Formats: sequence, structure tokens, C-alpha cells
Amino acid sequence: MRDVIAAFILLNAVVLIVTYLTYVERKFAARMQSRIGPYRVGRPHGWLQPIADAIKLLIKEDIVPALADRPVYNLAPIVFLIPSLLIFATIPFAPGLGLADLNIGILFFLAVSSLEIVGLFMGGWGSNNKYALLSAMRAVNQIISYEVPFVLTALIPVLLAGSLQLSAIVESQRGLWFVAYPVIGQLAFIAFIIATIASENRVPFDILEAESELVAGFRVEYSGMKFALIQLAEYTHMFGVSCLGALLFLGGWLGPGSAHPVVGAAWFLLKALFIFLLVTWVRWSFVRIRVDQILGLSWKVLLPATLILLMATGFWVAWSGGRVA
Amino acid sequence: MSRNGMGFWGETWQTARAVAWAMTITLKNLFRKPVTVHYPDVVRPYPDRLRGILALAYNETGEEACIGCRLCEYVCPPQVIKVEMLKGEKRNYAKTFTLELYACEFCELCVQVCPTDAIIMLKTFDLATSDRRELLLDKDRLHALGQQFQPSWATGNKLREMQRPPKAAKAEAAE
Repeated sequence: MRDVIAAFILLNAVVLIVTYLTYVERKFAARMQSRIGPYRVGRPHGWLQPIADAIKLLIKEDIVPALADRPVYNLAPIVFLIPSLLIFATIPFAPGLGLADLNIGILFFLAVSSLEIVGLFMGGWGSNNKYALLSAMRAVNQIISYEVPFVLTALIPVLLAGSLQLSAIVESQRGLWFVAYPVIGQLAFIAFIIATIASENRVPFDILEAESELVAGFRVEYSGMKFALIQLAEYTHMFGVSCLGALLFLGGWLGPGSAHPVVGAAWFLLKALFIFLLVTWVRWSFVRIRVDQILGLSWKVLLPATLILLMATGFWVAWSGGRVA
Repeated sequence: MSRNGMGFWGETWQTARAVAWAMTITLKNLFRKPVTVHYPDVVRPYPDRLRGILALAYNETGEEACIGCRLCEYVCPPQVIKVEMLKGEKRNYAKTFTLELYACEFCELCVQVCPTDAIIMLKTFDLATSDRRELLLDKDRLHALGQQFQPSWATGNKLREMQRPPKAAKAEAAE
């Protein structure tokens, strides 16, 4: 019973945080373009905008295309959302403040987060729309390509910490965060950020929703609450991966006063927000690149680079026990 | 093999520099003040020659300035102005004056030809409405608008004064 209540609280907290992440992103993006972003709904600075958006989407008419594959079409947002929410089961927000600190936490995270592609492809297929289908096929293509370097970079902290358990990985960063490890740390972090952006399908790797070619990608036919669920799932996934980055490279909840769970959770969320903003910053700085360039970057550059990094980390750990100085 | 024969490392270096440059630009923008003007709350100062919506003016003695000469009706390219003249003892008046603002193209020609500075343009433009009939302006409404908003600089006489060729040049041309 205690676990059920904890899960309920966690789910609601995650959904609330993610709702406001959209607001943060819109504000951040607006400031990068010398605009002010949402302003008029709620004073000060339009803080009610996400709520207003949610209500608007809730009361919108729900349209199903006549020739859509109805069960697949209707299930897709749910299948898309559930893995994104499931990944939070294993994330430790602070010492002892997490739902299930699995001893294979990171493996669970990687396995579940890549399940998302099933929902995405169902949406693209069920819509019976050429743009949606093209987008879904591109997404599968891209996510399969980037899952490999993503997993390989996530394995570097695992090697350094010697554990698959997320809380153990954080604890082993007590002396020095993994991002601060000489050369290996920074290169792995950059590779992780690139793979993160690609697996979240964000600009410059957003060929699957390329507005100028595919309208809005696989969610072109979705409206109302189903559209809201898909958006929610995307941002939840983004937040989940940001959390993973904070755990793996930025020392999770570690920081001054982190012995207290609330302070630790605050540090952790700040670090996750930092990674989220980093990804957003990249998003608003670049233009979209071509399909062949994206796949070329994955298979010809990122994969060999992360393999070599992983090997180097392995040798280092074998010789020096992964200790710095 | 690679662009400009730079080789793998040259290309990588150039890409890294381009990435850093692009992200610096967005970072600089992030800490700059937004340029947005909160429009309905804060109104930017309008230029003096703003061609806003049209109105009818009163002259110095407080009478209606329009003499119903129908010059604006003749000159109007989209033909949105309709005037009927009312003969008076000292001067003439406009019996009716309708202006279909929804078809107006804001060319200012009617203002330019007006001999008595009667039709003018105002420093306002946001008369959005959900009913098109509200944009069919009659004489009373045009006068009311003229009282309500600030007029633009241009009137018929001022424009003609501005566009008149200089006297000296005219004298030279005559010689």
C-alpha cells in the first residue's frame, strides 16, 4: 500500500514537473530569440499557460481519421506515454527517495525508454497518413541508430562506478563527478548529450517531425487529449533522459547539504534542469540536418568514438581502479 | 573525400568551431533584453504620417468642414466613399457621407484632394470587430471617430503646401 501511494505521488509530481518544463522551454526559447514568450495567462509572466494549454486540449474535439486503424490509432498515445513514465520508477531523487532502486537500474532505464518507439510507430502507422508513416519510419531508423552510442556512453559511468545501480553510481561520484574526470569524462558527456538529443528527436536531429516536410511528423492526425498525451510523453521522456544524465555525469543529488533528502532532491532536479536547458539551447542554435548526415554521424563518428572511449575507460579502470590521482 | 580537402581533422575542427559560434550567438541573445512591446498595454509612438483609419473633422469655427464636393468620391481607387451634397445658403454641406472601411486601401488620396481639410486620417488602426457592418461608417460615426482619436499630421492643405514646387524654380522654368 505504501508503494502504491508513493507511486501515485511520484507520477503526479512528474507530470506536474513536465507540464512546467514546457513552460520553461518556451520562456527559454523566447529569450534566446529576444522575445518574452508566454505572458498574458496568469500574472506574473504567464505562469498559468501550461494549465491553460492542458484545458484547451482537454475540451477540444477528438477527431479520428476515417480510414485510420482505430485500435492502433487510439492505443498509440498510451503505449507512447507508459514507458516514458515507467523510467521514473528506478530514478533515485535523493538517498532513499526513489520508488525502486533496482540493482540493474540503468539497464531497466535503457530498456524501457527505448520501448517508446513502439508507441511512436503505432501512431504513425495507425493514422493512415503518408506523412505520419514516413515520420514513424524515419524515427525507427534514427532511434535504432542512436540507441547504440547512447547505451555505450551510458556504460562509461557504469564502468567507472563498477555498478549498474543508479544510487551506487551517484555515490561513487562523491569525490569527483564523472563529467570532471580528465578527458574521458568530458568526451563521454558530449557524446551523451549528442545521443540524448538524437534519441529525443530534437533539433538538429528532428527529421521525424521536420515541420517543412512532414508537417508535424507522426502526430499529424492527433488532436485534443491524444495530442496532449503524445506531447506529455515526449517531454516526460526528455525529462527522464535529463535525469539520467544528471545521475550519470553530474553526481545526482550530491552537493552542499545533500544529506537531507529535500536538499538532495533539489540539487538533483537542478542538475536535470541544467541538462534539459543545455539540450534546449542546442535546439534553438542549429538548423535541422539531413537524414544521411544524421545516420552518418551516428554510425561513422559517434559509434567508433564511443567504442574507443569505452575501451579507454576499461583499460584505465583495469590499471588504476578508476581512481583519479 | 571531404570538403575543401580539409581532411577528417580539419573538418571536425571546423564543425566544432561552428557549433561553438552558433551557441555563443544564442547565449548572447539569452541575456539581451527582449524587444517585445506589450502592445495593448504599451503603445509605441506612432509616426506623424501614419495612415490610420479615416474620420471627418470640424473646422475652426466648430462647423462640419465637409462641403460635399465629392472630390474624394471621384478620386477613391476602390470607390468606397459615397457623398451626397446638401445645398446651403452660405456654403454646401454633405447630406450623407458613407465610407466602407472594410474595402478601404488607405492610400490617403481622399485626404490629399480635400479642399477644406474635412477628411483626415487618425493615429489608430485597430478597429477589429466581429461584425462587418460596424465598418460601414456613416457621417455621424466618422465625426465621432474624429473626436475620439488623435489626428495624423496630413491634411489636404498641408499636403498640397508640401508638394508645391518652390517659387524660384517656377520662375526659372518660366524664363
